[in-house]
Amino acid sequence: MVKSKNLGGTNLGTRLVAKKDFLALIDKAIKAGKEVVAPVRQETQANFKKIRSTNEILWGGPQTVVPPKWLLFPQEEELIEYDVNDEVKIKPIVGKKPVVLVGIHACDMNGAFLLDKVFADKNLDENYLKKRELLTIIGVDCLVPCTQNSFCYRKKSEGPWGGFDLFLTDMGSNFFVEVGSERGAELISNITRDATRQNIAKLKTLRKKRDSLFNKKQRKLKPKLADLPALLKKNYDSKVWEEHGAKCFSCGSCNMVCPTCYCFDVRDCMELNLKHGDRSRFWDGCLLTDFTRIGSGEVFREDRGARLRHRTNRKDWYLFEKWGKSFCTGCGRCGTACLTKIVDPLDIANELYAERKR
Amino acid sequence: MTIYKPELARINKVERMTDTECFFEAELLSGKSLGHQPGQFVEVSVFGVGEAPFCVSSPPSNRPTFELCVRAVGNVTSALHNKRPGDKIGIRGPLGKGFELQHFRGKDVLFVAGGLGLVPLRSLIWSVLNSRQDYGKVYILYGAKRPREFLFRDELENWEARTDVEYHSTVDIGDENWKGNVGVITTLFPNIQFDPNTTQVVVVGPPIMYRFVIRELKNRHVPDENIWVSLERKMKCGVGKCGHCQINNIYVCQEGPVFNYKQIKDLPEAI
Repeated sequence: MVKSKNLGGTNLGTRLVAKKDFLALIDKAIKAGKEVVAPVRQETQANFKKIRSTNEILWGGPQTVVPPKWLLFPQEEELIEYDVNDEVKIKPIVGKKPVVLVGIHACDMNGAFLLDKVFADKNLDENYLKKRELLTIIGVDCLVPCTQNSFCYRKKSEGPWGGFDLFLTDMGSNFFVEVGSERGAELISNITRDATRQNIAKLKTLRKKRDSLFNKKQRKLKPKLADLPALLKKNYDSKVWEEHGAKCFSCGSCNMVCPTCYCFDVRDCMELNLKHGDRSRFWDGCLLTDFTRIGSGEVFREDRGARLRHRTNRKDWYLFEKWGKSFCTGCGRCGTACLTKIVDPLDIANELYAERKR
Repeated sequence: MTIYKPELARINKVERMTDTECFFEAELLSGKSLGHQPGQFVEVSVFGVGEAPFCVSSPPSNRPTFELCVRAVGNVTSALHNKRPGDKIGIRGPLGKGFELQHFRGKDVLFVAGGLGLVPLRSLIWSVLNSRQDYGKVYILYGAKRPREFLFRDELENWEARTDVEYHSTVDIGDENWKGNVGVITTLFPNIQFDPNTTQVVVVGPPIMYRFVIRELKNRHVPDENIWVSLERKMKCGVGKCGHCQINNIYVCQEGPVFNYKQIKDLPEAI
C-alpha cells in the first residue's frame, strides 16, 4: 500500500548547474531508456510529450494546450482487469513505470500539489499515488507571462507550493536549482555546486522583476483571494450564473484542460471473446449534461448555469475551504479553451464582486 | 488490493418481484458477513457491463448473505436481472454512512417510504423490528404508483397483521382489486397520531416526495433533527473521488447517503 508521504518540495538547499551539464544528464538518462516527458512543439501548439532529446524541449513557452496532469491521472486509465471463465479472476492494475517530467510550470506543479492531497485523502487512490511516487518533477520558473489569459500571480501561484524534486530558474548559461527532495538532490549531485550569495541575490532580483512584470501584465482580481469562498457563497443565486450559463455549450473543454479537475467516469469493456475484460476510468466533466444523470434518467444539475456555478464553486469555495488553497492555479487554460468565453474564474469573480457593489 | 478492486460474491436467489424489480440474495465468496449498517450501499459489478451502487436491503446480520432489490433501468441493472443463482458478481463495500441505531433506540419511529425507497428503508425497518422491545411505537407509511408495484408483499402483510406496528399504504392510481387508500403518501398522515418530539421520522423516496412529506412533518412540528433521509445520486467510485454524487460541497458517497435533515436542508442542490 502506498502511504501518503513527502512527495518533494521541501527546501533541501540551493545549487547551481551549467545548463549543458544538466541537459547532458537528461540526454544520458533518455539514452539509458528512461522515459522523459517535456513540453514540445506540436504543429502550431505546445504539448507535453515523451522526448528523444532535450533539443525538443520548449523552455519558455508557449503554454501547453493541456497540463501534464495525464501523467498522474491519464485520460483513460485501467483500474482492474478480469477473466470470466468458470471462475472469475480480478487483477488490480497499478502503473509501475518511472517517468521524469521536465519543464513543468508552477501553475501545473501546483495543480499536481493539490491532486496529491485529493488522491491521498481517506481512501488512498493507489493508481494515482503509485504514479506520483514514480514521477520525478523538474519544474522551471516562469519569468515572463505565458498567455494573456493566465492569472497565476493573482492566485499566488506564480511559484511552486511544493511537490517538486528540482526547480530550475534560467540564469543565462546556468540553471539556479532549488532542491525539493532527496531524489532530486541525488539526481544532480555530481554536476552541481552550491549556489553562491551572488547567485541567490540574482535569483531574488529576477523574481522581483518577474513579480512586477506579472503584476503589470496580468488581469487584476478585484476581490481579495482569501475572500473568494465568501464571495461565491454570497452570490450563489446571482444572475451571473444564468447569464453565463445561457451561453455555455456544455462542451466540457474547461474541465478537460484544467490542471485540478479530477472527476472521472468508470466504464467496463469486454473483449470480443467475452472472457477477458477491463474496467477503466476516463476524464469526466461537471459541465457535461450527463454528469449527474442516474439510471432512471433524472439529472440533478440540469441547468447550464448551475453546472458552471458548481465548477467555479468547487475551485474557489468547496475545495478552497476544505484544503485551504484555491483549486484554481490561474493557468488560464479554461478561459482560452472556452468557446464563448464565459468560464474564466477571474472574470466571474470580478463580475460577482462588481455586482456586489452595485 | 486497491480501492477499485471488488470482492467476489455468488448470487444465491433471484426472484422477480414486480414487472421491473428483482430481488437478489447474494453471499461473499470469502464467507464473511458484509458487515453493513442499515442504509449503507455497495457497488455491484457485473463483469463486462459495469458497476453501479445499490443500498443493501437486508438488515445487518452475522450471516454471509445479504439482499438487494434492483429495478431494471440501465445497463448494469438490466444485466443483473439476467443473472441466475450461482452466477458471480463483484462487490465493493459496504460504503457510505448508514442509519445509526443509537439515534432511534428508545424512541418512536415513523418510516415513510415511496416506491423504491422501501429498499434501503427495509434494512432499517427489520433492524428495528428484530429488536422490537428496544423501540417505542413503530409506524410504517408506504406508497407506490400502482398496486402491482408494491415490493416485499409478504412482509407488507406481516407488518399489516402485527399489533406492534401501525402500517398504512397508498397508491397513486388504484385498480379493480385495490380497496385501500388512493392518493399521494401525505394523504396517509391523517391516519396516524405521533408525538413530534419523541418520534424519529425516516423518509426515503423519489426526490419529489421529500418536499411534500417534509412540509407535512413541519406542519406537525417535527424538529429538523428528528428527520432522516437517504439521497440518491449518480455514483461511480463510491469512495469520494469521482465527483458525480456531489451536492454542493458534500460527497453523498462519503457523508451520506443517509443524512439528518438538518445537515442538508440548507444545501440548495440537495432535493
